[in-house]
Amino acid sequence: MSDRKLPRLLQTPAVLLLLVWMLIPLGMTLYFSFIRYVLNSLRRPEWTTPSFSNWRGFGNYEFVLNSKDFLFAIQNSLFIVCSILFLTVILGVLIAVLINKTFPGQGIVRVLLISPFFVMPAVNAVLWINMILDPVLGLQGIAVGGINELIDGLKDAPLVGWFFGMWPELQPISFRATQTSAYAVIIMVTWQWTPFAVLIFMTSLQSEDQQQKEAAVLDGANTWSQFRFLTLPHLARPIAIVVMIQAIFHLSLYAEIEIVSRGNGNKNLPYLIGEFANNNIGAASATGIFAVILANIVAIFLLRMIGKTLME
Amino acid sequence: MAIVAKTSRFGKYGRPTLAWVVGLLFFFPIFWMVLTSFKTDADAVKPEHLIFFKPTFDNYINMTENYDYWRFAKNSVITAVMATVFTLFVGIPCAYAMAFNPSRATKDVLMWMLSTKMLPAAAVLYPMTFITKTAGLFDTHFLIILVLSLINMPIVIWMLFTYFKEIPKDIIEAGQMDGANTWGEIKEILIPLAWGGIASTALLCFIFCWNEAYWTVRLTTTDAATLSKLIEGNRAPEGLFFGRLSAVSAAAVGPIVVLGWFCQKQLVQGLTFGAVK
Amino acid sequence: MGRIVLKNVTKTFGETQVIPPLDLTIEDGEFAVFVGPSGCGKSTLLRMIAGLEDLTSGAIEIEGEDATEVPPAKRGLAMVFQSYALYPHMSVRKNIGFPLRMAKMEQSEIDERVETAAKSLNLMDYLDRKPADLSGGQRQRVAIGRAIVREPEAFLFDEPLSNLDAALRVGMRLEIGELHERLKTTMVYVTHDQVEAMTMANKIVVLRAGVIEQVGSPLELYHKPRNVFVAGFIGSPKMNIFSGPEAEKLDAATIGIRPEHIGVSMTDGLWKGRVGVAEHLGSDTFIHVHDTGLADMITVRITGDIAVKHGDTIYLTPQPDQIHKFDDEGLRN
Ligand SMILES: Nc1ncnc2c1ncn2[C@@H]1O[C@H](COP(=O)(O)OP(=O)(O)OP(=O)(O)O)[C@@H](O)[C@H]1O
Ligand SMILES: [Mg+2]
Repeated sequence: MSDRKLPRLLQTPAVLLLLVWMLIPLGMTLYFSFIRYVLNSLRRPEWTTPSFSNWRGFGNYEFVLNSKDFLFAIQNSLFIVCSILFLTVILGVLIAVLINKTFPGQGIVRVLLISPFFVMPAVNAVLWINMILDPVLGLQGIAVGGINELIDGLKDAPLVGWFFGMWPELQPISFRATQTSAYAVIIMVTWQWTPFAVLIFMTSLQSEDQQQKEAAVLDGANTWSQFRFLTLPHLARPIAIVVMIQAIFHLSLYAEIEIVSRGNGNKNLPYLIGEFANNNIGAASATGIFAVILANIVAIFLLRMIGKTLME
Repeated sequence: MAIVAKTSRFGKYGRPTLAWVVGLLFFFPIFWMVLTSFKTDADAVKPEHLIFFKPTFDNYINMTENYDYWRFAKNSVITAVMATVFTLFVGIPCAYAMAFNPSRATKDVLMWMLSTKMLPAAAVLYPMTFITKTAGLFDTHFLIILVLSLINMPIVIWMLFTYFKEIPKDIIEAGQMDGANTWGEIKEILIPLAWGGIASTALLCFIFCWNEAYWTVRLTTTDAATLSKLIEGNRAPEGLFFGRLSAVSAAAVGPIVVLGWFCQKQLVQGLTFGAVK
Repeated sequence: MGRIVLKNVTKTFGETQVIPPLDLTIEDGEFAVFVGPSGCGKSTLLRMIAGLEDLTSGAIEIEGEDATEVPPAKRGLAMVFQSYALYPHMSVRKNIGFPLRMAKMEQSEIDERVETAAKSLNLMDYLDRKPADLSGGQRQRVAIGRAIVREPEAFLFDEPLSNLDAALRVGMRLEIGELHERLKTTMVYVTHDQVEAMTMANKIVVLRAGVIEQVGSPLELYHKPRNVFVAGFIGSPKMNIFSGPEAEKLDAATIGIRPEHIGVSMTDGLWKGRVGVAEHLGSDTFIHVHDTGLADMITVRITGDIAVKHGDTIYLTPQPDQIHKFDDEGLRN
């Protein structure tokens, strides 16, 4: 082999590391998904050690498919990811356009804005669900309580009292409840990742062609058409990238879901796997294989869509 | 700019005001966390002490005295720094090869790497725990560094790849013609030219390492436990110990947020992921 | 000392063969120029010599030794790129000294050689600037400086002047020519500007679609183009080439006559036509003549100025001994 091939060999360490990182656990997961394997069983102690003699075929897969949480977890995964993507992209574009022009304190505003991105996901979740969204002790609870008290006070006021008397008492929302826990996760992750979108869009806006804009102004384009026909198309590529990176990260959300409601009313596949894995490794592994398949479908979809533009 | 510079009333007053409001809103939760960390646990949940309270350092003192904060912090620094260094060490040559000696498979390899990030960690938690315990690596710095590197490698390689691709191929070839071997090219030409991009990448990698909380919590007990483990341990039942929790949280995210502030220029310029053409 | 021999060299990108089997020898000390239309494979061929592009098959010998598998860094060749490819993060001094540093030369020796090169290229005042702060011509000189310091076996140039403005191009052309006179090192030079080719080369290699159409000295190519393609490609303005009765009269399928070998008269001559555009350069006049019945347009070049205007009738007479005759296959007969 001539040493002209050396440069290509330089990718082998990374490729090999990632290959091992992927294949060994994946192989074990695949194996476990076809056997009966639980961590504790008084009735069938032989199931607590992995072995081919506990072969279950597709039994674990059937079990998972029939469990009521499975479809819900898939739907919910997609719901959460898509909502976050939607919100972060919209907010990101708006904020990036807003702060792209110089104004007094631009640097400080930028620092304030990107700070959430540096916060640990676990801290993010703890912070929001307890100190902000808690229906009693959090700011939400305190705010709702305050408003109710204010209205109460106004009920006895002369002249306008009857008007406020007709107001209902406000109820704080419990974000740990079955119906709402997904929203809590969406809120906190959006808070954390909007700055990321802003960062990327801002960088991209800085490279926008100013001459083109000037030409557009000369052609009589107003602000909206400038945004619609110049800025937005310019942002197409960064939007694609923000979507892709976030999809990669949010498909495997875990800490937020656990901290908000321990999966109550709000599971995604990783969390479902975690729940199974408390005892039933076989089922957890089968779910894992489903998750791998889902991830690959999403990956193929995203990468097909986005990969092309990236390689140019 | 001469033509665009016609500022409307909105441009003059509305935009800065709105921008400041948005910035403060986004920062508010962090501010609130820091503020709460100076309240006692009792004060923290009393509406009357929402803003006016007697600040106390007790939470922080308690944290360092009873929760061994410095050990967790030290582990976080060690693992995040080492993992970032190792990731770059493996990632730079790889991205270099992909950017300047691409083969037909390069794109697919890159996409495959990214797709490994989508594998659900929970699915392989059990085998991973099993393997690492068998190999005697459980709760070691080595393991955490390795895992953090592997998790972040795809993103790092991708980012580096996009920066390297911006370097004109001619310059790399000129280096070859001038007698530089592969190492010389990387050291003398590639790294100095892509320095800004490499710094941004390193920064982002460091942030992700610092904030990682799935594996660091589950593959450690004490020796290699990082700040995310400390948070995990202090995540008391709902609504309790807000003051203490805030202090621990603030101390866990503080260093990285401040680092982010100092490097925000770098991030603003460098975080393109190839989005800027 | 660099004698470069290409043996049966081919290059295929994916499915398309860019260079069909090709043999070529460039003698030591020669100034060889590759010319040809855009996309004909000049750069590819040069890059194959440099080692930047793998051969699909065949072999390259440099100075008698097989270099086919030798990496570019070890071939002892220097290259000047169209984009200059200077290292933007290094000063001019560092740029020029880079190949020497890579060769692990003593710093004092490096400094000395860089100074010498800089002196000869008029770069002394710019040694501590970064490439971004230089003009195009200065950058070009730095690129050349970087190539000459290491005293390579041969220089490779890929359209080094095409990013310069016309005046600078003429100046640099002379400088490179002088450099060759001084160093006597083999030079391989790619261009699609045939004026550059004619003025600088001792050997011109005319390429079309990866095939060598003719190899020879500039005047050989000018006076005895081997086929219609070379005839049309070498010379400016282009040779008039046409077929028809006029060619048959001379027993050829196609004949060609250079613009400078046609005499004009307002009263009589062999061919009659109508003046289209006349380009007055002062020293020369190019007249584009239409409606001759020979070809769409015949170009004539006259020394000095002549008072013709659009629409005038004009008579043309070719110099008989300067008519090039080609057979059905386009080959000279
Ligand atoms: N890396 C590549 N992959 C595929 N095709 C290529 C590649 N490089 C060159 N080609 C093709 O090979 C042919 C020759 O290219 P080359 O660059 O050698 O032309 P050239 O003669 O230098 O042209 P120009 O005068 O425009 O520089 C072209 O048709 C080009 O499209
Ligand atoms: Mg070329």
